[in-house]
Amino acid sequence: MSDAPKPDAGTVERFRLAVLPHLDSAYGFARWLARDPVLAQDVAQEAMLRALRYFHAFRGGEARPWLLGIVRNTWIDMTARNGAERLSLDAIEDRPSDSPDPEQSALAGDRRRHVAAALAALPLEAREILVLREIEDLSYKHIASVLDLPIGTVMSRLARARERLAAELRGRLGRRDHGLPDL
Amino acid sequence: MDCPTCEAMVDAYVDGELSASESVAFERALDTCPDCAKRLETARAMSRLLRELPAEPAPDLLRARIERELRPVAEARWRPWALAASLIAAVSVGWLGGTLTGGRNTDDLVATYLRVTMSEHAVDVASSDRHTVKPWFAGRIDYAPPVHDLTASGFPLNGGRIDIVDGRKVAVLVYQRNQHKVVLSIWPSASSGNAPALVTQRDGFALARWRHAGFELRAVSDLAPSDMASFATAVDRAVDAER
Repeated sequence: MSDAPKPDAGTVERFRLAVLPHLDSAYGFARWLARDPVLAQDVAQEAMLRALRYFHAFRGGEARPWLLGIVRNTWIDMTARNGAERLSLDAIEDRPSDSPDPEQSALAGDRRRHVAAALAALPLEAREILVLREIEDLSYKHIASVLDLPIGTVMSRLARARERLAAELRGRLGRRDHGLPDL
Repeated sequence: MDCPTCEAMVDAYVDGELSASESVAFERALDTCPDCAKRLETARAMSRLLRELPAEPAPDLLRARIERELRPVAEARWRPWALAASLIAAVSVGWLGGTLTGGRNTDDLVATYLRVTMSEHAVDVASSDRHTVKPWFAGRIDYAPPVHDLTASGFPLNGGRIDIVDGRKVAVLVYQRNQHKVVLSIWPSASSGNAPALVTQRDGFALARWRHAGFELRAVSDLAPSDMASFATAVDRAVDAER
């Protein structure tokens, strides 16, 4: 890390244009990794600084998958430093429904809370791939680059992750509410 | 298409990763395979549920923390003494080491830049008008430095100050480029002839040294090196235009 050159003003400007717009994504991904909004801020901040430091090595292409890969590596490094992955499911379980849409019934709010809790309860391997696919809407190719996996592995992991999430959801939601068929 | 094949395609189909012909083949196979149709329904339902989760934007505090890290790559991110140390190390390696230095104390030049960029009291005479700034130097130093507003070139003049370099009073002009400052120190040269601007980059700073029209010029800034080169060119052009 120390051998990366310090960014000059021109680099910072390019970074602002290319990478900074993806801060929301970086934070959102970090939140699902860390499952703790405060820790997620630390992860996202550290990842942004790393991204700036290594921006000279970014060779164009799409900045968002590149940044999300750094977020993930940062999270892995931070958890390795702090021992086991920190669990704070409560932070997500207890979050009140924050839908701004007045037409959203309490039921929909409840459903979202359950879905969020089900996703948060998944092991990292399943959680991260679902977030990248469904929330970040990345293609298989980009997921493969973020996770540093072959595309075939991305596909099999994604299929397994969906099965796990479906099982979690069935345990949390009533049949009528989630629209999931029984398998 | 047999069932294992179509089962393996469910996810790729939902995710829009199949080619048009593969999609058609899959849809055809689906009619004869109720299990796969169910898998497809499940995958779609889950996708819907996940996508309706509210996205949480980055908190303002996080954004502010990152902004703070970005803006002052040149300034507040390091403590002034650390910055000074790194700059002094940088210039002693390669910058002012040549004959152009005339024995000027590089630490003093760095200190000047730091005083300008880090203190509230950046300039002694704050004006973009050269007819205010230039006369201000008269009687304060024993030479008349070339003073030009370079707004037309994108470097408006902020003002001037005097600093002590190598035990001697030296004229310092401060220019602005967007939110960056360029600090230009000027003193009469002991050598004749011009030397084109040599721009180097250390620790996120652009440093330029050159000799023009009988003056030694040293500029320090957190600009991109290309901008620093334009700055030197703009100074030279303004000086030449007056002669």
